[in-house]
Amino acid sequence: MNRGTLATVTGRPGARADRVAGRIFLTCTLLTAGAAAVLLGVMAVGTSQFFAEVSPWRFLTGSTWAPFAEDPRFGVAPLVAATGQITVGAVVVAAPLGMLSAVYLQFYAGPRAQRAATAAVALLASVPTVVFGYAAVSAVAPLLSAVLPGAGAFGGAAATIVVGLAVTPTVAFLAREALAAVPPALLQAGTALGASRGQVVARVAAPAAARGLVAALLLAAARAAGETMIVAMAADGLAELAWSPLEGARTLTAFLAQAGLGDTRPGSLDAQVVLAVATLLFAVTCTVHAAGRALLPRRRPATPGLPRTPVRAAVRKTAAATREGPRS
Amino acid sequence: MTPSAHHPAIASGRRRFDLLGLASRLAAASVVASAAALLGLLAWRLWPFGLDGAPHGPGGGWGEIGGAAAGTAWLVVLTGALALPAGIGTAIYLEEYARPKTRAASVLQAALANLCGVPSVVYGVAGLAFLVHGLSLDRTLLTGALVLAALALPPVVASSTEAIRAVPGDLRTAAVGLGATRWQVVLHQVLPVAAPGIATAACTALTRAAGAAAPLLVVGAASMVTFAPPTPAAPLVSLPTHVFGWAVRPQAEFAAHAAGATLALLAILLGVRLAAFAFQLRFAQDARASARSLPDARAPGSATPGAEEGPAPNAKPRQGTPSPFSGP
Repeated sequence: MNRGTLATVTGRPGARADRVAGRIFLTCTLLTAGAAAVLLGVMAVGTSQFFAEVSPWRFLTGSTWAPFAEDPRFGVAPLVAATGQITVGAVVVAAPLGMLSAVYLQFYAGPRAQRAATAAVALLASVPTVVFGYAAVSAVAPLLSAVLPGAGAFGGAAATIVVGLAVTPTVAFLAREALAAVPPALLQAGTALGASRGQVVARVAAPAAARGLVAALLLAAARAAGETMIVAMAADGLAELAWSPLEGARTLTAFLAQAGLGDTRPGSLDAQVVLAVATLLFAVTCTVHAAGRALLPRRRPATPGLPRTPVRAAVRKTAAATREGPRS
Repeated sequence: MTPSAHHPAIASGRRRFDLLGLASRLAAASVVASAAALLGLLAWRLWPFGLDGAPHGPGGGWGEIGGAAAGTAWLVVLTGALALPAGIGTAIYLEEYARPKTRAASVLQAALANLCGVPSVVYGVAGLAFLVHGLSLDRTLLTGALVLAALALPPVVASSTEAIRAVPGDLRTAAVGLGATRWQVVLHQVLPVAAPGIATAACTALTRAAGAAAPLLVVGAASMVTFAPPTPAAPLVSLPTHVFGWAVRPQAEFAAHAAGATLALLAILLGVRLAAFAFQLRFAQDARASARSLPDARAPGSATPGAEEGPAPNAKPRQGTPSPFSGP
């Protein structure tokens, strides 16, 4: 079997280690692909079973959500609205914090401050979301209801703010990467024209990095939409179309967490509706995430123009060099 | 404003009031402050009860946190054992072994990249449907670890792929020129150089697994811990799900318990991070050492094959095989 790879080129008899290793790596790949296939398959099967019972149109457009009631209603719009509300709110919180932190880290901070601030952002990034949820319940919500008497203990506002804080590191890191990718020559040109540092950042660096900055916001939005623990702990309200951020809001993720706590019988409509909601969440977050990734500036490989299978290319390169003949 | 620009590309511009500089400093300061506030909150909640307080729970105060911590330790170990070899092996196969532009390989890579953006709760829902309902597995630590491994696989593959792609092509060219097989290229050239990047990927995956609450809640984590789990077949308990269980209750003792569990969780995360850091440090030293031992490529007469790593792995000239090095 000619695989067209190095094994056939250098394949000396007895290179068993290479073949064995290749088979092991292939097994790993098949395992990974299998896990992904199971994930997608389970969701597709459950969702199609659910849509055999309930029409997709009624699912997506209905405005009453009572899946476990005597007379179940499967209108998912309230959950989508709550998810959208918390996502947009969180991005509104995270965008200025994250972007400005990125500007600070990239253009203003001295070396020591830069290290400290990067460490703080990394600390925030590595805190599990359940800890943020704990902070939302035990500190932010009481504070908010003290300031705004309308906000209940389980207010959507506390959840929104804390989700925003939780995704701030995402915005900060990605925005900083985008700003760092701006060619220095542009910045120097701006300075040479007499612009102050603020002007260079705002009018040269930011427009040049615009794509990456938008990508940062989209990826943060995808994370915020999928945020489960904070919302389940702090914003667990009734699934009604609520337009005030002070009222509780049950999101897609909070419903999934809640439904998982109770026991759903396998194969029942209860279990299927959970899978259908999961699929909807999957589709939404995947789309936003993919859009963000598409906008992300491509990272250059270490060697420019390095082709996909380097070993094979290396052989070709060496062969070409040999054909040209040694210079010496 | 600072007298000298820290960013090398921007000389200090004209001094004037810099709104952006002020705003970015404020933003960075508030990110640092919120990270500090989070830690402060935990300490403040815990303080009234001291280190031997937290009287609630059938397991009795800290014993219960200890049991949950043991559960999380099991989960981290099992997830690492399941996801890391499979994920890293997949990345090696896709980058070094798979034929270039294979349909299946590129589809898998794209699918995995998109799966990185899927919220963790979706994995929990799919795990519940497939493992618990479908395969009728018990809700054990191993079941939880399987879900966490599926969750960890896509990011591990993506980051390891990136680390492998960043390996300079010259290393491969040189190794192939000396007659190395693919496996030798992978083992001696690619993996040592990519190791720090792969270690970062592993660390991120494991800290996420340690902090994951939503998928475990959905799969069905036990809410009471009565003993430290002795084997992976013990009921699924973990620190994050415990924090969730305690934090949503109103009494101060419960809040203290949740704070204690959170601190234990952060300690485990710190442990994982330190382990990865030590690993990276070791590899950085190795890399420096081997860089010192390398002969200077420009020095005449130093280009003897096999001078760097003992006997060249495959330096014997082969007969009969069509070698690309023997031109027409």
